Amino acid sequence: MSAGTVNYAQTRSFLIDTTKCTGCRGCQVACKQWNQLKAEKTTFFSGEGYQNPPQMSEYTFTRVKFKDYEKHGQNEFAFYKEMCMHCNEPACASVCPVGAFHKTPEGPVVYDSKKCIGCRFCMVACPFGVPKYEWSKAFPLVKKCTGCYSRVKAGLEPACATACPTAITYGSRDEMLKEASRRIAAKPERYYKTIYGKEEAGGTGVLYLTQQPLDELGFKKITKRPLPSYTWQALRLVPGIFLTVGGTLSAISWFQHRKDRIRKEEEGMQEKDK
Amino acid sequence: MTAARIIMNEIKGYHRFIKLMMVLVGMGALSAMIRFIFGLGVTTNLNDTYPWGLWISFDVVTAVPLAAGAFTIGVVAHVCHIKKLEPLVRPAIVTGFLGYSLVCIGLLLDLGQPQRGINVLRYWNVHSPMFEVSMCVMAYTTVLTLEFLHPVSEKFGWHIPLRLLRTLEIPFAILAAMISTLHQSTLGTFFLIAVDKLHNLWYNPLLPLQFWLSAIFTGLSIVIFEASLVHKYMGQPDESELLATLTRIIPWVMGVYIVVKLYALLFLRHGPLFDRPVLTALFATEMIVGVFMPFSLYLGKRIKTDKRLQLRAASMVIFGLVLNRFNVSMFGMEQANQQIYVPSLLESLVTIGIIAAHILFFVLIAKYFPIFEHHPEATDYTIPDRFRKVGRPGEGHGSPSEA
Repeated sequence: MSAGTVNYAQTRSFLIDTTKCTGCRGCQVACKQWNQLKAEKTTFFSGEGYQNPPQMSEYTFTRVKFKDYEKHGQNEFAFYKEMCMHCNEPACASVCPVGAFHKTPEGPVVYDSKKCIGCRFCMVACPFGVPKYEWSKAFPLVKKCTGCYSRVKAGLEPACATACPTAITYGSRDEMLKEASRRIAAKPERYYKTIYGKEEAGGTGVLYLTQQPLDELGFKKITKRPLPSYTWQALRLVPGIFLTVGGTLSAISWFQHRKDRIRKEEEGMQEKDK
Repeated sequence: MTAARIIMNEIKGYHRFIKLMMVLVGMGALSAMIRFIFGLGVTTNLNDTYPWGLWISFDVVTAVPLAAGAFTIGVVAHVCHIKKLEPLVRPAIVTGFLGYSLVCIGLLLDLGQPQRGINVLRYWNVHSPMFEVSMCVMAYTTVLTLEFLHPVSEKFGWHIPLRLLRTLEIPFAILAAMISTLHQSTLGTFFLIAVDKLHNLWYNPLLPLQFWLSAIFTGLSIVIFEASLVHKYMGQPDESELLATLTRIIPWVMGVYIVVKLYALLFLRHGPLFDRPVLTALFATEMIVGVFMPFSLYLGKRIKTDKRLQLRAASMVIFGLVLNRFNVSMFGMEQANQQIYVPSLLESLVTIGIIAAHILFFVLIAKYFPIFEHHPEATDYTIPDRFRKVGRPGEGHGSPSEA
């Protein structure tokens, strides 16, 4: 956790405006190409909706979710892109015993496959269900969206943001937040009045604007508190507890053995007197 | 060939139950090999929704508190200096040693990259509960191994290590309690990160404290459970009088546990408690059968003298703990409207093999090492003086020559 060195306002962030998404899935294809991910064999209607593949996986770091709903008696579609949220204070980085994840100063949360021991705690910890596992392999590793860190470092935009014709804007986090608020203010009838990702899990590097209420679209309700703080409130007590237990038990032990020592000494005195 | 024949003859003499355990261990080992050849995804029912399954829930999260007998009885007997409990210490240490060794094996099986396990020592992340637990488990397994060396060196007559281990008895007991306090509670800290996943019946900020308290009273119950079974099936002397001392300690810890649990439920929860009927039933079973019923049994007078009641109360506590750990690490983590995780055959075989290995090794160690026949007063702890450097007693200065 390099929390101290990262200025979240300046981290590169995605603003995904789902009201502008056409569902073309260019982002999905661009992601596969840039990360050289295998195609998945899927069947249509295998998931909860029309989306394909049915879920993110070791081969699919991002995908467009389809959601149908009714509006004025008309069937409508909503789309949104699912990907790693690149949290400001990532749970995956906090729980990884070997520190294989870290939040880069540029923004993306990246994974060092050489350190990973494969405990999968990151998968349990991530509130968005993002890290995926190479279940097909005998010695598997974790796979997840890298935020195209190599591209971002070179001054480029991530593959999906480059490919997207309409919905993805990419830039510093506070610019994206400002832009999102501006859009909501400019067209209040068009937007649901919440920016998803602004405060979720302590703030994320992916911000969503939607037309429908978030829970109807399938966005999980997530605590506003940074997740690492939940475990840290217990873990920070560890050294103190360690020493307290040791000290208390030593004291008890000394006290309980005192009687024996006194008795022995007395016996020794008696021996001498003889 | 002769060595093999001796071993075969030895095995032929074993009880049928022991042979069955050997077969189960063999099957477990075979299944474990299959996991390494074909991979986790093929051999287990784990998937991206359920990255942790039976091996974490039982072989790690449950087995660690079940092996807590070693540190709890160590504190009660050595630190609190209740000398008469001494005969219970060694079996508990052997159980702990086996328990932790098997936890390590279970963990290695479950890791995707077991050959990199050493990375935990190379790259530290002190913010990770998993880091803390792995460090503690490594340290504590070492302590338990050293403690286990005690009967081993007694058996082979290694006098110097024996003397050393004897003087370290109390420091080890304290160290064991220090390390155990950390990792038993931190196993609860694991699930504090799952704030939107673990159900409110179990999720609360005091989860680590609850894990620690339940490990203590379960550890002591395990000692009762084991001593009762060993008396029943292995012809060892009846210890129910000593166990009565433990039954006086346990209800205090259980009482504190109940208070903490109720307080956390009432005041520290994050959301609705009884919205999922199945989870409510699991929670009720855990609390009634695993906590309240044995609590009232332990409080009663009859348990001081009644062996059967002691065994029953201890079994209930153990059942309650197992269910609690499964509730926290598996059932309570399943979201509504999700496909339910059921362990695969191979996963179950490995876990059965690990349990069988525990029983098997315990019986074998008890057979060949002085675990139960522990008489400190009858053992000769003098350093053998082969080089005649220490001097004969009576000749050296300082000691009165009475010889």
